[in-house]
Amino acid sequence: MARAKIKRGSTSVDMTPMCDVAFLLLTFFILAAKFKPPDVIEVVTPTSVSNKVAPQKDFLTVTISKDNKVFLAIDPNIKGDVLDELAKERNISFSAQDKANFLNAQFVATPISQLTQFDQLKPEQIKGANLPGIPVDSTNNELASWISAAVNARMGETLNYLIKGDDASKYETFENVLSAFKKNDIYKYNLVTSAESIPEGSELYKKNLEQQRSGKKAE
Amino acid sequence: MAEMEVKESSKKGPGVKKSKKKSTRVDLTPMVDLGFLLITFFIFTTTVSQPTSMNLNMPKDTKDPNLDTKVKESGSLTLLLGKQNVIYYYYGNDPATMQTTGYKNVRDIILKKKLSTPANDLFIIIKPDKDATYKNAVDILDEMDINDIPRYAMVDPTPDEYSKIQQTEAASGIK
Repeated sequence: MARAKIKRGSTSVDMTPMCDVAFLLLTFFILAAKFKPPDVIEVVTPTSVSNKVAPQKDFLTVTISKDNKVFLAIDPNIKGDVLDELAKERNISFSAQDKANFLNAQFVATPISQLTQFDQLKPEQIKGANLPGIPVDSTNNELASWISAAVNARMGETLNYLIKGDDASKYETFENVLSAFKKNDIYKYNLVTSAESIPEGSELYKKNLEQQRSGKKAE
Repeated sequence: MAEMEVKESSKKGPGVKKSKKKSTRVDLTPMVDLGFLLITFFIFTTTVSQPTSMNLNMPKDTKDPNLDTKVKESGSLTLLLGKQNVIYYYYGNDPATMQTTGYKNVRDIILKKKLSTPANDLFIIIKPDKDATYKNAVDILDEMDINDIPRYAMVDPTPDEYSKIQQTEAASGIK
Protein backbone atom coordinates (compact mmCIF):
# COMPACT_ATOMS: atom_id res chain seq x y z
CA MET A 1 0.00 0.00 0.00
CA ALA A 2 1.27 3.35 -0.90
CA ARG A 3 1.30 5.86 1.82
CA ALA A 4 -0.46 9.11 1.33
CA LYS A 5 2.06 11.83 0.82
CA ILE A 6 1.93 14.55 3.39
CA LYS A 7 2.59 17.88 1.89
CA ARG A 8 4.83 20.03 3.93
CA GLY A 9 3.31 23.48 4.06
CA SER A 10 5.41 26.50 4.81
CA THR A 11 5.08 27.67 8.42
CA SER A 12 5.29 31.31 7.50
CA VAL A 13 2.06 33.24 7.34
CA ASP A 14 1.36 36.23 5.22
CA MET A 15 1.36 39.14 7.61
CA THR A 16 -0.07 41.74 5.25
CA PRO A 17 -3.75 41.46 6.27
CA MET A 18 -2.86 41.57 9.94
CA CYS A 19 -0.76 44.63 9.35
CA ASP A 20 -3.68 46.22 7.55
CA VAL A 21 -6.01 45.51 10.43
CA ALA A 22 -3.58 46.86 12.99
CA PHE A 23 -3.12 50.13 11.20
CA LEU A 24 -6.80 50.44 10.42
CA LEU A 25 -7.55 50.16 14.12
CA LEU A 26 -4.79 52.59 14.91
CA THR A 27 -6.10 55.23 12.53
CA PHE A 28 -9.60 54.68 13.85
CA PHE A 29 -8.58 55.24 17.46
CA ILE A 30 -6.52 58.29 16.66
CA LEU A 31 -9.26 59.88 14.62
CA ALA A 32 -12.03 58.90 17.01
CA ALA A 33 -10.20 60.23 20.07
CA LYS A 34 -11.67 63.47 21.28
CA PHE A 35 -9.02 65.92 22.21
CA LYS A 36 -9.67 67.85 25.34
CA PRO A 37 -9.87 71.56 24.61
CA PRO A 38 -6.95 73.27 26.30
CA ASP A 39 -7.95 74.48 29.72
CA VAL A 40 -7.91 78.22 30.08
CA ILE A 41 -7.35 77.87 33.77
CA GLU A 42 -4.64 75.42 34.60
CA VAL A 43 -5.45 73.35 37.61
CA VAL A 44 -3.30 70.63 39.09
CA THR A 45 -5.63 68.52 41.19
CA PRO A 46 -4.46 66.68 44.28
CA THR A 47 -4.38 62.89 44.27
CA SER A 48 -6.62 60.57 46.23
CA VAL A 49 -7.23 56.84 46.54
CA SER A 50 -10.86 57.30 45.56
CA ASN A 51 -11.73 55.40 42.41
CA LYS A 52 -15.12 56.89 41.68
CA VAL A 53 -15.31 58.62 38.35
CA ALA A 54 -16.31 62.26 38.51
CA PRO A 55 -19.89 62.71 37.27
CA GLN A 56 -20.17 64.27 33.84
CA LYS A 57 -23.88 65.01 33.85
CA ASP A 58 -25.87 67.79 35.54
CA PHE A 59 -22.76 69.25 37.02
CA LEU A 60 -21.80 72.51 38.55
CA THR A 61 -18.04 72.76 38.73
CA VAL A 62 -16.37 75.28 40.98
CA THR A 63 -12.75 75.70 40.01
CA ILE A 64 -10.24 77.23 42.38
CA SER A 65 -7.11 78.37 40.58
CA LYS A 66 -3.67 78.50 42.12
CA ASP A 67 -3.97 82.22 42.77
CA ASN A 68 -7.18 81.61 44.75
CA LYS A 69 -9.62 82.86 42.15
CA VAL A 70 -12.94 81.08 41.82
CA PHE A 71 -14.57 80.14 38.54
CA LEU A 72 -17.80 78.38 37.80
CA ALA A 73 -18.66 76.05 34.95
CA ILE A 74 -22.26 74.97 34.48
CA ASP A 75 -23.56 72.01 32.52
CA PRO A 76 -24.45 73.40 29.05
CA ASN A 77 -27.89 71.79 29.27
CA ILE A 78 -28.99 73.89 32.20
CA LYS A 79 -26.94 77.03 31.60
CA GLY A 80 -29.78 79.01 30.03
CA ASP A 81 -32.19 78.26 32.87
CA VAL A 82 -29.60 79.25 35.44
CA LEU A 83 -29.05 82.64 33.82
CA ASP A 84 -32.81 83.30 33.66
CA GLU A 85 -33.16 82.38 37.31
CA LEU A 86 -30.22 84.58 38.28
CA ALA A 87 -31.71 87.52 36.39
CA LYS A 88 -34.96 87.01 38.25
CA GLU A 89 -33.35 86.75 41.67
CA ARG A 90 -31.06 89.71 41.19
CA ASN A 91 -33.53 91.87 39.27
CA ILE A 92 -31.25 92.33 36.30
CA SER A 93 -32.23 91.88 32.70
CA PHE A 94 -30.08 90.31 30.04
CA SER A 95 -30.66 90.94 26.36
CA ALA A 96 -31.01 88.03 23.95
CA GLN A 97 -27.51 88.79 22.69
CA ASP A 98 -26.09 88.72 26.21
CA LYS A 99 -27.72 85.38 26.79
CA ALA A 100 -26.32 83.92 23.59
CA ASN A 101 -22.87 85.16 24.57
CA PHE A 102 -23.26 83.61 28.00
CA LEU A 103 -24.18 80.26 26.51
CA ASN A 104 -21.06 80.38 24.36
CA ALA A 105 -18.71 81.25 27.18
CA GLN A 106 -16.95 78.27 28.74
CA PHE A 107 -17.30 79.43 32.32
CA VAL A 108 -18.21 82.29 34.58
CA ALA A 109 -15.07 84.14 35.57
CA THR A 110 -16.14 87.60 36.68
CA PRO A 111 -18.41 89.29 39.17
CA ILE A 112 -21.99 89.46 37.93
CA SER A 113 -21.63 93.19 37.21
CA GLN A 114 -18.98 92.48 34.56
CA LEU A 115 -20.65 89.36 33.21
CA THR A 116 -22.03 90.72 29.93
CA GLN A 117 -18.76 92.48 29.18
CA PHE A 118 -16.74 89.35 29.75
CA ASP A 119 -18.99 87.16 27.66
CA GLN A 120 -18.40 89.36 24.64
CA LEU A 121 -14.73 88.42 24.61
CA LYS A 122 -13.62 85.86 22.09
CA PRO A 123 -12.00 82.67 23.38
CA GLU A 124 -8.60 83.85 22.14
CA GLN A 125 -8.84 86.98 24.23
CA ILE A 126 -9.43 85.11 27.46
CA LYS A 127 -6.30 84.49 29.41
CA GLY A 128 -6.33 82.80 32.76
CA ALA A 129 -4.04 85.24 34.53
CA ASN A 130 -6.10 88.40 34.15
CA LEU A 131 -9.53 87.02 34.95
CA PRO A 132 -10.99 88.55 38.09
CA GLY A 133 -12.87 85.44 39.28
CA ILE A 134 -16.15 85.29 41.17
CA PRO A 135 -16.10 87.05 44.55
CA VAL A 136 -16.51 84.59 47.44
CA ASP A 137 -15.72 86.76 50.47
CA SER A 138 -18.02 86.59 53.42
CA THR A 139 -19.22 90.11 52.65
CA ASN A 140 -19.90 89.60 48.95
CA ASN A 141 -20.40 85.94 48.18
CA GLU A 142 -21.70 85.96 44.62
CA LEU A 143 -20.99 82.28 44.21
CA ALA A 144 -23.84 81.63 46.64
CA SER A 145 -26.20 83.55 44.31
CA TRP A 146 -25.08 81.45 41.37
CA ILE A 147 -25.61 78.25 43.29
CA SER A 148 -29.03 79.29 44.51
CA ALA A 149 -29.97 80.21 40.92
CA ALA A 150 -28.82 76.79 39.76
CA VAL A 151 -30.71 75.02 42.52
CA ASN A 152 -33.90 76.95 41.83
CA ALA A 153 -33.59 76.49 38.09
CA ARG A 154 -33.41 72.75 38.69
CA MET A 155 -36.14 72.35 41.26
CA GLY A 156 -36.28 68.85 42.58
CA GLU A 157 -33.50 67.45 40.48
CA THR A 158 -30.19 66.75 42.07
CA LEU A 159 -27.12 68.39 40.69
CA ASN A 160 -23.58 67.18 41.11
CA TYR A 161 -21.46 69.76 42.83
CA LEU A 162 -17.87 69.36 41.80
CA ILE A 163 -15.09 71.27 43.41
CA LYS A 164 -11.86 71.31 41.48
CA GLY A 165 -9.11 72.99 43.41
CA ASP A 166 -5.49 73.51 42.58
CA ASP A 167 -2.80 71.96 44.77
CA ALA A 168 -1.43 75.36 45.68
CA SER A 169 -4.70 77.13 46.40
CA LYS A 170 -5.30 78.17 49.97
CA TYR A 171 -7.66 76.35 52.27
CA GLU A 172 -9.30 79.67 53.08
CA THR A 173 -10.70 79.98 49.57
CA PHE A 174 -11.96 76.41 49.73
CA GLU A 175 -13.68 77.24 52.98
CA ASN A 176 -15.35 80.27 51.38
CA VAL A 177 -16.57 78.08 48.54
CA LEU A 178 -17.95 75.59 51.05
CA SER A 179 -19.73 78.38 52.91
CA ALA A 180 -21.35 79.44 49.63
CA PHE A 181 -22.70 75.91 49.28
CA LYS A 182 -23.76 75.75 52.91
CA LYS A 183 -25.77 78.94 52.50
CA ASN A 184 -27.87 76.98 50.04
CA ASP A 185 -28.14 73.97 52.35
CA ILE A 186 -25.93 71.79 50.22
CA TYR A 187 -23.65 69.52 52.15
CA LYS A 188 -22.55 66.91 49.64
CA TYR A 189 -19.74 67.63 47.24
CA ASN A 190 -17.42 65.82 44.93
CA LEU A 191 -13.81 66.87 45.09
CA VAL A 192 -12.13 66.31 41.75
CA THR A 193 -8.85 64.49 42.21
CA SER A 194 -6.53 62.42 40.12
CA ALA A 195 -6.34 58.75 40.90
CA GLU A 196 -3.67 57.27 43.10
CA SER A 197 -3.15 53.65 44.03
CA ILE A 198 -3.95 52.48 47.53
CA PRO A 199 -0.73 52.08 49.51
CA GLU A 200 0.00 48.43 50.10
CA GLY A 201 -0.49 47.18 53.62
CA SER A 202 -2.66 50.08 54.71
CA GLU A 203 -5.99 49.55 56.47
CA LEU A 204 -8.05 50.26 53.35
CA TYR A 205 -5.91 47.86 51.36
CA LYS A 206 -6.52 45.09 53.87
CA LYS A 207 -10.22 45.88 53.98
CA ASN A 208 -10.51 45.67 50.19
CA LEU A 209 -8.63 42.38 50.19
CA GLU A 210 -10.97 40.95 52.76
CA GLN A 211 -13.99 42.08 50.82
CA GLN A 212 -12.63 40.45 47.72
CA ARG A 213 -12.06 37.20 49.54
CA SER A 214 -15.47 37.09 51.18
CA GLY A 215 -17.05 38.06 47.88
CA LYS A 216 -15.42 35.09 46.22
CA LYS A 217 -16.53 32.75 48.96
CA ALA A 218 -20.11 33.94 48.65
CA GLU A 219 -20.11 33.06 45.01
CA MET B 1 9.60 33.45 9.00
CA ALA B 2 8.10 35.07 5.96
CA GLU B 3 8.56 34.04 2.38
CA MET B 4 12.16 34.10 1.55
CA GLU B 5 12.36 31.09 -0.68
CA VAL B 6 13.84 31.77 -4.00
CA LYS B 7 12.63 29.65 -6.80
CA GLU B 8 15.22 28.06 -8.92
CA SER B 9 14.81 29.24 -12.43
CA SER B 10 14.48 26.62 -15.06
CA LYS B 11 17.63 25.23 -16.47
CA LYS B 12 19.20 27.07 -19.26
CA GLY B 13 21.87 25.78 -21.45
CA PRO B 14 25.24 24.75 -20.08
CA GLY B 15 27.54 27.56 -19.17
CA VAL B 16 24.76 30.04 -18.71
CA LYS B 17 24.98 31.49 -15.25
CA LYS B 18 21.92 31.39 -13.12
CA SER B 19 20.66 34.84 -12.26
CA LYS B 20 19.20 34.80 -8.78
CA LYS B 21 15.74 36.35 -8.59
CA LYS B 22 15.14 38.04 -5.27
CA SER B 23 11.73 37.88 -3.77
CA THR B 24 9.93 41.19 -3.43
CA ARG B 25 8.20 40.08 -0.27
CA VAL B 26 9.02 41.80 3.00
CA ASP B 27 8.59 40.42 6.45
CA LEU B 28 5.69 42.41 7.92
CA THR B 29 5.81 40.97 11.42
CA PRO B 30 7.69 43.87 13.03
CA MET B 31 5.31 46.33 11.44
CA VAL B 32 2.31 44.48 12.89
CA ASP B 33 4.04 44.50 16.26
CA LEU B 34 4.50 48.21 16.06
CA GLY B 35 0.90 48.76 15.02
CA PHE B 36 -0.53 46.85 17.93
CA LEU B 37 1.90 48.46 20.32
CA LEU B 38 0.62 51.89 19.29
CA ILE B 39 -2.99 50.73 19.59
CA THR B 40 -2.45 49.48 23.13
CA PHE B 41 -0.67 52.70 23.99
CA PHE B 42 -3.53 54.84 22.75
CA ILE B 43 -6.18 52.77 24.46
CA PHE B 44 -4.41 52.96 27.78
CA THR B 45 -3.74 56.66 27.63
CA THR B 46 -7.32 57.53 26.75
CA THR B 47 -8.95 55.66 29.62
CA VAL B 48 -6.53 56.67 32.37
CA SER B 49 -6.97 60.42 32.06
CA GLN B 50 -10.51 60.44 33.46
CA PRO B 51 -10.60 62.40 36.68
CA THR B 52 -11.84 60.68 39.78
CA SER B 53 -13.74 62.36 42.52
CA MET B 54 -13.80 62.08 46.22
CA ASN B 55 -17.06 62.48 48.07
CA LEU B 56 -17.18 64.99 50.86
CA ASN B 57 -20.15 65.33 53.15
CA MET B 58 -20.16 68.23 55.54
CA PRO B 59 -22.40 68.45 58.59
CA LYS B 60 -25.00 71.13 58.92
CA ASP B 61 -23.84 74.10 60.95
CA THR B 62 -25.82 74.28 64.15
CA LYS B 63 -25.96 77.15 66.59
CA ASP B 64 -27.32 74.95 69.37
CA PRO B 65 -24.43 73.51 71.41
CA ASN B 66 -26.61 70.59 72.51
CA LEU B 67 -26.65 69.31 68.96
CA ASP B 68 -22.88 69.33 68.63
CA THR B 69 -21.18 66.01 68.28
CA LYS B 70 -19.74 64.85 71.57
CA VAL B 71 -16.27 63.42 71.46
CA LYS B 72 -14.57 61.41 74.15
CA GLU B 73 -11.37 63.06 75.23
CA SER B 74 -9.51 59.78 75.40
CA GLY B 75 -10.44 58.91 71.85
CA SER B 76 -9.72 62.14 70.08
CA LEU B 77 -6.77 63.13 67.98
CA THR B 78 -6.57 66.67 66.67
CA LEU B 79 -4.58 67.41 63.55
CA LEU B 80 -3.81 71.04 62.78
CA LEU B 81 -2.67 71.73 59.26
CA GLY B 82 -0.20 74.59 59.09
CA LYS B 83 2.03 76.36 56.63
CA GLN B 84 4.65 74.61 54.53
CA ASN B 85 3.07 71.16 54.78
CA VAL B 86 3.59 70.89 58.50
CA ILE B 87 1.08 69.14 60.73
CA TYR B 88 0.67 69.85 64.44
CA TYR B 89 -1.14 67.26 66.48
CA TYR B 90 -2.21 66.55 70.01
CA TYR B 91 -4.24 63.94 71.81
CA GLY B 92 -7.27 64.68 73.92
CA ASN B 93 -8.12 68.20 74.93
CA ASP B 94 -4.83 69.88 75.69
CA PRO B 95 -3.31 71.98 72.88
CA ALA B 96 -0.25 72.61 75.05
CA THR B 97 1.02 69.11 74.28
CA MET B 98 1.15 69.89 70.59
CA GLN B 99 3.72 68.03 68.54
CA THR B 100 4.96 68.55 65.03
CA THR B 101 5.02 66.14 62.11
CA GLY B 102 4.77 66.01 58.34
CA TYR B 103 2.52 64.35 55.79
CA LYS B 104 4.76 61.32 55.43
CA ASN B 105 4.63 60.37 59.09
CA VAL B 106 1.06 61.26 59.86
CA ARG B 107 -0.19 57.85 58.74
CA ASP B 108 1.74 56.11 61.51
CA ILE B 109 0.38 58.51 64.11
CA ILE B 110 -3.20 57.98 62.96
CA LEU B 111 -2.74 54.23 62.83
CA LYS B 112 -1.18 54.07 66.26
CA LYS B 113 -4.09 56.05 67.68
CA LYS B 114 -6.56 53.83 65.86
CA LEU B 115 -5.08 50.64 67.24
CA SER B 116 -4.81 51.96 70.80
CA THR B 117 -8.38 53.23 71.17
CA PRO B 118 -11.71 51.40 71.09
CA ALA B 119 -13.31 51.77 67.66
CA ASN B 120 -16.36 53.58 69.02
CA ASP B 121 -14.36 56.25 70.79
CA LEU B 122 -12.00 57.10 67.98
CA PHE B 123 -12.57 60.57 66.59
CA ILE B 124 -10.17 62.58 64.51
CA ILE B 125 -10.55 66.33 64.36
CA ILE B 126 -9.01 68.05 61.38
CA LYS B 127 -8.34 71.75 61.71
CA PRO B 128 -6.82 73.29 58.63
CA ASP B 129 -5.63 76.80 59.38
CA LYS B 130 -5.75 79.71 56.97
CA ASP B 131 -2.31 79.08 55.56
CA ALA B 132 -2.83 75.41 54.73
CA THR B 133 -3.33 74.62 51.07
CA TYR B 134 -6.24 72.84 49.47
CA LYS B 135 -3.91 69.95 48.72
CA ASN B 136 -3.19 69.58 52.43
CA ALA B 137 -6.88 69.31 53.20
CA VAL B 138 -7.51 66.75 50.47
CA ASP B 139 -4.43 64.77 51.47
CA ILE B 140 -5.55 64.49 55.05
CA LEU B 141 -9.10 63.53 54.05
CA ASP B 142 -7.56 60.92 51.81
CA GLU B 143 -5.53 59.70 54.77
CA MET B 144 -8.81 59.11 56.63
CA ASP B 145 -9.90 56.91 53.75
CA ILE B 146 -6.62 55.06 53.61
CA ASN B 147 -6.62 54.34 57.33
CA ASP B 148 -10.31 53.52 57.32
CA ILE B 149 -11.27 56.03 60.00
CA PRO B 150 -15.06 56.00 60.35
CA ARG B 151 -15.49 59.22 62.27
CA TYR B 152 -13.73 62.49 61.62
CA ALA B 153 -14.64 66.13 61.34
CA MET B 154 -13.20 69.20 59.75
CA VAL B 155 -13.46 72.39 61.80
CA ASP B 156 -11.67 75.71 62.16
CA PRO B 157 -8.91 76.02 64.73
CA THR B 158 -9.70 77.98 67.87
CA PRO B 159 -7.90 81.34 68.34
CA ASP B 160 -5.74 79.71 71.03
CA GLU B 161 -4.60 77.00 68.74
CA TYR B 162 -4.01 79.44 65.92
CA SER B 163 -1.77 81.65 68.05
CA LYS B 164 0.05 78.55 69.31
CA ILE B 165 0.73 77.49 65.74
CA GLN B 166 1.97 80.93 64.86
CA GLN B 167 4.32 80.93 67.84
CA THR B 168 5.69 77.55 66.88
CA GLU B 169 6.10 78.65 63.31
CA ALA B 170 7.91 81.79 64.33
CA ALA B 171 10.17 79.80 66.64
CA SER B 172 11.11 77.28 63.98
CA GLY B 173 11.47 79.93 61.30
CA ILE B 174 8.66 78.80 59.00
CA LYS B 175 7.39 81.66 56.91
